[in-house]
Amino acid sequence: MLALWVRGVLARRFMRVAGTAAGVALTVALLATLTLFLLGAGASMTARAISAVSIDWQVQLIPGADPDAVAKVLETTADVRATHRVRYADIAGLEARTGDTTQTTGPGQAIAFDDSYSKDFPAEIRSLSGSADGVLVAQQTAANLHVGPGDMIVIRRSGGLPPASVRIAGVVDLPDADSLFQLPGLPPRAAPQAPPDNVLVLPAEDWRKLFGSPDTPHPESTRLQLHVRLAHGSLPADPTAAYAFATGKKRNLEIGLAGQAVVADNLGARLDAVRQDALYVSVLFLFLGVPGIALAIALTMAVTMSTAGGRRIEQALLRVRGAPMRRILILSAAEAMVASIGGIALGLACALYFLGFVPGLRDNSASAGTTLLLVAMAGLLVGLAAYLLPAWRDARLIATGQARRAVIRTTTPLWQRLWLDLALLAAAGFFFWQQASTGYQIVLAPEGVAATSVDYKAFIAPALFWTGMALLTIRLSGRIIARNGRPLRALIAPVCGPLAAIVAAALSRQASRLTLGIAMTALAISFATSTAIFNETYNAQARVDAELTNGSDVTVFGTTDRPAGAQLAALEQLPETAAAEPMQHRFAYVGADLQDLYGIDPRRIGQATTLSDAYFDGTAADVLGRLASTPDGVLVSEETVQDFQLQPGDTINLRLINARDHQYHPVAFRFVGIAREFPTAPRDSFLVANAAYVGRMTGSDAAEYVLMRSRGDPTALARQASTELSFDPPLKVADIGEATRLIGSSLTAVNLRGLTTVELSFSAVMAAASAGLMLALGFVERRRTFSILGAIGARPGQLAAFLWAEGVLVVTGGILFGLASGIATAWMLVKLLTGVFDPPPQALSVPWLYLGTMLGLLIASVAAAVLFTRPRPGHDAERLRDF
Amino acid sequence: MTDVLVVAKSVRREFPDGRYGTNVVLRDVDCRIASGARIALTGPSGSGKTTLLHLLGGLDRPTHGSIDWPGLGPFDELRPRHVGFVFQAPSLFPALTVLQNVELPAVLAGEDIQAGSMAARLLEAFGLGGLAGKLPEELSGGQAQRVAMVRALLLGPGLLLADEPTGQLDSRTAQLFFDTVLDCLEGSGAALVVATHDETVAARMATRWIMDHGLLFTEPWRGRMP
Ligand SMILES: Nc1ncnc2c1ncn2[C@@H]1O[C@H](COP(=O)(O)OP(=O)(O)OP(=O)(O)O)[C@@H](O)[C@H]1O
Ligand SMILES: [Mg+2]
Repeated sequence: MLALWVRGVLARRFMRVAGTAAGVALTVALLATLTLFLLGAGASMTARAISAVSIDWQVQLIPGADPDAVAKVLETTADVRATHRVRYADIAGLEARTGDTTQTTGPGQAIAFDDSYSKDFPAEIRSLSGSADGVLVAQQTAANLHVGPGDMIVIRRSGGLPPASVRIAGVVDLPDADSLFQLPGLPPRAAPQAPPDNVLVLPAEDWRKLFGSPDTPHPESTRLQLHVRLAHGSLPADPTAAYAFATGKKRNLEIGLAGQAVVADNLGARLDAVRQDALYVSVLFLFLGVPGIALAIALTMAVTMSTAGGRRIEQALLRVRGAPMRRILILSAAEAMVASIGGIALGLACALYFLGFVPGLRDNSASAGTTLLLVAMAGLLVGLAAYLLPAWRDARLIATGQARRAVIRTTTPLWQRLWLDLALLAAAGFFFWQQASTGYQIVLAPEGVAATSVDYKAFIAPALFWTGMALLTIRLSGRIIARNGRPLRALIAPVCGPLAAIVAAALSRQASRLTLGIAMTALAISFATSTAIFNETYNAQARVDAELTNGSDVTVFGTTDRPAGAQLAALEQLPETAAAEPMQHRFAYVGADLQDLYGIDPRRIGQATTLSDAYFDGTAADVLGRLASTPDGVLVSEETVQDFQLQPGDTINLRLINARDHQYHPVAFRFVGIAREFPTAPRDSFLVANAAYVGRMTGSDAAEYVLMRSRGDPTALARQASTELSFDPPLKVADIGEATRLIGSSLTAVNLRGLTTVELSFSAVMAAASAGLMLALGFVERRRTFSILGAIGARPGQLAAFLWAEGVLVVTGGILFGLASGIATAWMLVKLLTGVFDPPPQALSVPWLYLGTMLGLLIASVAAAVLFTRPRPGHDAERLRDF
Repeated sequence: MTDVLVVAKSVRREFPDGRYGTNVVLRDVDCRIASGARIALTGPSGSGKTTLLHLLGGLDRPTHGSIDWPGLGPFDELRPRHVGFVFQAPSLFPALTVLQNVELPAVLAGEDIQAGSMAARLLEAFGLGGLAGKLPEELSGGQAQRVAMVRALLLGPGLLLADEPTGQLDSRTAQLFFDTVLDCLEGSGAALVVATHDETVAARMATRWIMDHGLLFTEPWRGRMP
């Protein structure tokens, strides 16, 4: 009986079951891909962080501590993969004699690795020339001393020990010197320690002979460190958890060491740095993903609800034929199961398909199984709830005696009488204002502090706004439709012609069904719009960031002797060049401080690069205008203004190199504004002046750099420029793509693209589905009505007018309210998530192509709904009998 | 002379039944309807009355055999100018008021100029004037059936097919209602076919056809029937 019914339901009510199944599939697919993405992003961030650390822990023994005891403590507290001993000694300097000149260096360090160190820590030392064994000298030191393999050098030991001679066996590079030479135990955020300028790597035996004697007068001039590589298998995948785990281990170690050694936790520091990014990923997931999932669930509910009428009648018939209540319930549960399970299967298949080609989803097969199982269960819940909810509502309506009222609404819903929509919007405004007043500090992960915090209150504003807008959409569109006034008739007139009045009358009594469709469509469009705008703005900002670093799409870097500006004419002729502008790059003394000075043409520079308002104190146009109208004007950094107590219009004397005598001479500039950032400029202090003035005062109008804007393909432009300039090797061509990769350490590295690819495809599908599916199901449910219309004389075109009118309403209402709410939500998101932007965006970037495609899909789905469910002549007799 | 409006020859209508079987609902039905005819179609429930009316009204097509409407024009032009139909099941458009429902055929035919007053007058004539502004869900079953009849009469059809139009009326109301229907058709040359279980209604028709298990008996009744 059950199987028979299921077969029957599938055969005769396929649309109905398929509608719910599609909703469940959408929910499951979105939930699965987003969850997998989130897990994958965290895991890949952790993995990347770990792989960037070469020495996990550096344990430095206090003088006199027993290395074996310390090693023992290490073994017992942590899962240690390898430990090596590294000895450091401070040296007063090095000397080398070549011919009859003697080169000397300042202080440095002599270090010794134990056996097979480089096997376990291969990233620490790289042989450049000569042997890899014996006495090795760092590249910089070798350059300072003009020595190479085979040469003798003298080590000037500190603490009164006599100098010692050694023969150099090889030259090496120490790529990880910052970490290698750090002093463990300094408080976090202490001034960064620069690695020593001069480094000598000695064999352990030699080191001991030179520095290891127990009667060394200054024991603090030598140090012993244990370099530890930990087993990473036991680290949690999530960066925050991994950080907590790693720092916990480190603390245990410190307790066990009881002051015998201090620990530098490189692993923890690295994980610390990605924690904030990881938190932002979860925040983005919440902001961008959760609304999508909520929407998919709502869509499932709405679709199922729109077919509830047919089920209700079927159940009534069953009851009339004497089927017991239990059987009726079992039968409807069976339909719910068929729809849910079908939807889950389809959704998981979609998710697995997505998994194949969306970046950032692949490398987490470990947890995928459990995740998918949980997602499937969630899908089942959604499916069952979608069926139970209308049934429950029916029961309630029957209890209140309203069951027969299909058209007339006797009461305004409670939320409308309470003006809940406006209340929600007002509350959203309030919470948003509150966030604004705290400067949008959503994610806090202070360096070195284990506790992180996400200010979840920030989600309240968009959530309230979204719901409020949905309710407002229902209220306004409901009112316009129910009133059956001129706006409604004008709207449908193009598709209804002379039938407009009667169609409008019919529509006006189905306002609640239509407004549900409009609201769902508006929500879907809003979601798609806000996600797309946010994403586009994010990408544009990432580009601005890259452009800021690189200077422009393509920048040619030269020197004063070989200025890139000399090739300007040739560069302008390149096919891919849209604009090319010369820019001087000189140095100038501001007091005792040497700063970068950029000489530009303020009126033209904007053609080749983007100058955002955020770069200046005031708008870019204003500040550059002031500079242009003041020939001797200069823009300086905030720090300089502070240091010199500058007022606008003040004269400031800078010292610049003059081309004639290559000496620094004072040049008077007039302070006209503040620049915080500038293309190619360092973050801290720099100056921007008029190129013409700088040229005149220094006797050289050479422009060291050329900034170029491409016609659309920076890489192609860079290639063309490189070819053009190949005869002039000192000129360096850099394109924005390289800069993007370099900046990639921050959030951009967390492939946001993966998240947004998923989001954007789903939101387009949902927008189309919500409009098309709901209309189609509504039409199918009212097939009999259309048959009667046909029987009393409606021609196919006239029947279609009824359908098109509904389509027009849903499309117009959906687009109107959806775009309005989407743009507002995007604005809110960009503000709330200021933290992910650097620099903050000036305006929203609108992805017209995507929005156009999405709306095109939407209209196509509505058209398809009308065309496929349009009553066809010849099937009337059967339908006329249907209740 | 009286025109022949409809001619049905060897009409057979089968419905698929189960996976392979067919349910033959009408077997070789022959009939003709002349203008001005008053026909009562009776027979037990499930005998095929509704099916036959749908075929005669051009709402359905026969499996075998042919139906022609020599006095009403080609198939495409049947509705609603020439054939008015009153359905057995509720058939009012739920989102339109009674008046709008009644006017609908005229609006669809593009003649809404006088239809409004005509519809109101007809409703008045059937004693339904007070319901004009109501929605179908506010009507009783009997009221809805009568409104459906008014709608079928609006464009002055040449053939009126009514399926159980008095099914939900008490016999007195049914009598009054039927009087009005006959008055409206009087002198128009229109033919009326009423499928009914109501003997008093059937008795007022000049001709009686009897359906039984898909067979139609149109010859004057010779006491064959129960
Ligand atoms: N679309 C259909 N599919 C299958 N069988 C059908 C269909 N329509 C009608 N039938 C069958 O045709 C037979 C005749 O139905 P019909 O509605 O014509 O009877 P009726 O004489 O009008 O009955 P009643 O007096 O109860 O209205 C019935 O057995 C019915 O089950
Ligand atoms: Mg019948």
